[in-house]
Amino acid sequence: MSDNSKSITALTGATGFLGSHLMAGMLLKGYRIVVFGRPAKNESLTVRISRLLRWFGIENFSDQVSCVETDLSQDNLGIEYEEYSRLCSIVNIVIHCASDTSFSESRREKVMTANIKNLNGVLEFSRNARVDFFHYISTAYVAGLTSSICKEILPSTNTFTNVYEESKALAENIISQYCNKNSIKHSIIRPSIVYGDSQTGRSLKFNALYFPLRSAQSIKDIYLNDIHNNGGKKAVKNGIFLDEDGYLFLPLKIYLPVEGDLNIIPVDYFVNASIKIIESSSRSSIYHLTSNFPTTMKIVAKYYEQLMKVRGIGILYGQPPANLIRNPAEELFDRFIEPYRPYLADKRVFDRTNTNQVTDNLNPPEFTFEIFKICMEYAIKVNWGESIFVNKEN
Amino acid sequence: MRDNHNETSEMKTAYHTARNCRHYAMCKIDFLGSGVCDSGLEKHYVSFYPQGRMILYETLAENKIPVTEKCIEIADSCDLCGKCDYQCYFLNEMRPSMVMKALKNHVETFIKNGGRVKIAEKDAMLEEIQRIVGADWATNDEAVAATYSHDLSAISDPKYPDYIVLPGTKEEIASLVKLFRKNNIKYTIRGNGQNLLGFAVNEGVILDLNRMKTIDFDEKNWLVNVGSGVTAFDLQKQAQKRGYRINAAEPAAILCANIMCSGIMSTFSTTYGINADNFINAEFVDNEGSFFNLNDITSPNLYSYKNLQHSDSPGICVSASIRLHPVTNDEKGILVPFETLDNALDFIQDCSLRRIGLALGVVGAEYISTFLSPTKKKAAEIKSIFVDKLNIPWLVVVIGDKYAIRTISEMGFPFFDQNMFNSLYLGLPSLLKANWLDLVKNLSDDEPYSFLKIKGFAELLETALSPSPALYSQEIDPELRPFFEKLFSRQEMTDLVWLNMYRIMSTRLGRKKPFLPALMYLPVDKILIDELSGKFKLIADNHQIDNDFGFITPIDNGKRCIFEYDFFYDYNDPEEIQRIRQVAMEVNMLIDDYSVKTGTVKGHPYVLYQGFCRKENLLYS
Repeated sequence: MSDNSKSITALTGATGFLGSHLMAGMLLKGYRIVVFGRPAKNESLTVRISRLLRWFGIENFSDQVSCVETDLSQDNLGIEYEEYSRLCSIVNIVIHCASDTSFSESRREKVMTANIKNLNGVLEFSRNARVDFFHYISTAYVAGLTSSICKEILPSTNTFTNVYEESKALAENIISQYCNKNSIKHSIIRPSIVYGDSQTGRSLKFNALYFPLRSAQSIKDIYLNDIHNNGGKKAVKNGIFLDEDGYLFLPLKIYLPVEGDLNIIPVDYFVNASIKIIESSSRSSIYHLTSNFPTTMKIVAKYYEQLMKVRGIGILYGQPPANLIRNPAEELFDRFIEPYRPYLADKRVFDRTNTNQVTDNLNPPEFTFEIFKICMEYAIKVNWGESIFVNKEN
Repeated sequence: MRDNHNETSEMKTAYHTARNCRHYAMCKIDFLGSGVCDSGLEKHYVSFYPQGRMILYETLAENKIPVTEKCIEIADSCDLCGKCDYQCYFLNEMRPSMVMKALKNHVETFIKNGGRVKIAEKDAMLEEIQRIVGADWATNDEAVAATYSHDLSAISDPKYPDYIVLPGTKEEIASLVKLFRKNNIKYTIRGNGQNLLGFAVNEGVILDLNRMKTIDFDEKNWLVNVGSGVTAFDLQKQAQKRGYRINAAEPAAILCANIMCSGIMSTFSTTYGINADNFINAEFVDNEGSFFNLNDITSPNLYSYKNLQHSDSPGICVSASIRLHPVTNDEKGILVPFETLDNALDFIQDCSLRRIGLALGVVGAEYISTFLSPTKKKAAEIKSIFVDKLNIPWLVVVIGDKYAIRTISEMGFPFFDQNMFNSLYLGLPSLLKANWLDLVKNLSDDEPYSFLKIKGFAELLETALSPSPALYSQEIDPELRPFFEKLFSRQEMTDLVWLNMYRIMSTRLGRKKPFLPALMYLPVDKILIDELSGKFKLIADNHQIDNDFGFITPIDNGKRCIFEYDFFYDYNDPEEIQRIRQVAMEVNMLIDDYSVKTGTVKGHPYVLYQGFCRKENLLYS
């Protein structure tokens, strides 16, 4: 697409992590975007989007964005008929990024509603608008529990790590069937685990990769407080102490089921690769936005120790011995990382043939200590997202 | 009208404090172990306790009464020891000692300026009364009368009695009743003025029974006979020393008055019951001045209950034989969190049905935050931590032996044990700054509050919050900090069993504003409770009255429960008092409607003077 300003893209999920970064990236490239989204408790969608644009430093691009408050579970996306018809007449591209990313089985119904049931309205809109392309942001992990090479094809497995993977796999199949039946060209974009911007460290969300780091940081802070303010009585009991060089010895043995990788990509790569796919796709296809050189938890732990002045973190592969006695810090950390454990040591390898073709072999950067440092420092600066919209400089 | 000329800022603060006295009578009991006002213990009149002096100063400052002889005695009797500051700060964040000082100054200045002290004139009736009780124990002094003009609630208008009489024996009471009857004089019985409906204030004579403090244990029959001036706190203390427990009402409530007015109930009512479950016998002086025992075959049937009817007083309860309950040395308290009231109700009903736990009570985040926090400001912040960060809008307080606690654990419910409660309480300032709470909340995704089941979590919580009396006390006024540090070093102050058996946990509930509770008995029916709560809220919101869920305690194996819903108001705002009166009326009408409609809802106001009834007659007739 040579002149982005002539097409209008409807984007769902623009207030989420990937959606917001994608919106910002596309606006910078001149795209005109109609955001389909919900108001928050006390905030209109427009206010939410304006705040995000400010955070990205692109308030000047606000004339390229319009907001339409939608309810994806309702007929016509909950939009009045006339407005719906108007939108159908102007939108050329739909990017469906909205998703419930919860891994929790207890939220199965909500996840399935958000990721499957609500799909219908977006697909119908795409058909009614006769869009040129429908793009769906999925996940690389729709491949399910497999140790083989994951191809850029529709998922066929029934064994998943969690309800999120399951819902995304199901959604891909529904989209493919619907789009094929209605002759809508479509792409399925499958990122692996996405972290912050590799250049600036900026990020709107701090889960996935950040979660174990934040957990370790919290545990570290708890014991440092004990050492500084209470004579370290509890710390000593658990073999935790401050070395003479200022390093905290924090014995944290982390058991991961298999020796495997951690496939992570920065959000700037996700945005750039996705835009390339959006701009270059001419046929329906699936794309893996993954790293060919994934890192490992051992490396991440090493980076963490180096940056945060900690020693004692041990990454161990295999099942923990039955008689293992954990200290309270290990018990807590173990529970903290439980939902993410399958992704922290992963045997899956992702085929990127389609991606390489349309993105001119655009690859994510290797996860270096410098990238880790810039991302961690930003995360700590904004208190893992808690104060992200408090300080203008964030 | 109040004269504001020449008023210093100290006087203004003192007046403001005096006007905000909650009249809970908590300064009459030694609930902090810091002692009680010596003059109060000696003189017995409420006038000589901090509460009385607060009312007296307020009344004097408003020029409602002259400086009298007793006024000078009351002011002089205060040695400014500051004990009242500890008690009142703990409860309401108030410092009454400044009022005591202001009262002394007021009186001294009055005398220095040549003011004429009014001497109450003795009349024939007072002389008659004093002949019965002794000169020290009856007065018609206006200053004393003023201190008896209020009860706990501002729903009723203040009334100034003509005589205040403190009989010492049941025989004196009988003689007084005969005297009043003969002379057609209205008399009103007062325990500690805990009545919410204005029944402890009146014109005529106030009979304050506070001198009748006998406590006689009959251990072989598991009983204790108490006089009509014994408070729940004092009796519980004596019972605990002997290894027993009583089912106690609010700590400052007089037991006999409490049985008479509302019947004893608490979270321990789950196992100890309500009303007639709590006593074996009681002695009365009837309305003609004769004695009768509840167990006498010819006595009026006070075990019956008439719903939707206000009853007359059967007489004056002068003593009661209260049941003693055994205590095991493995009792512990826990707090079980819930995401919804429905789930909490299911839990208490199940526990009650299976007879798990000694005491059970559902409380909301407002209740627990108010108790845990040393100040109003912190209470609001802590409530937000409970609700927003930990997603704990509801908690069930359970007191039980080790088998009960183990069973709840085996039932799969995560809970805050006593150690964790200590950490939450004394580590409260750290909790407000704990960044890791967001992570902990994530752990609840698959199983609510599963973080509480993590091995070693109690230790981590303690490490993270660094609880200590010093940390907790840093939120308190600097001059009071040393006392509070010492206070919170005492194990019982954080012991859930102690806090519940003495009913200390609910004592801070009126700190933000005084409150009027709506109490009722009803089935543990989630829809009904939800419906009633919603309607109470609507009524209160319509009148711009703050309101909140109070507590629910299951009784009689979960067949019924006690439900309290609270309405908060400023009793120095006449307009707000009008609104709370309207709320009270509408709420009572609503409960009456439900009582008729369901046949199972019983409004608490009708228990007045029927507190001796059998639980079964109250709940099921």
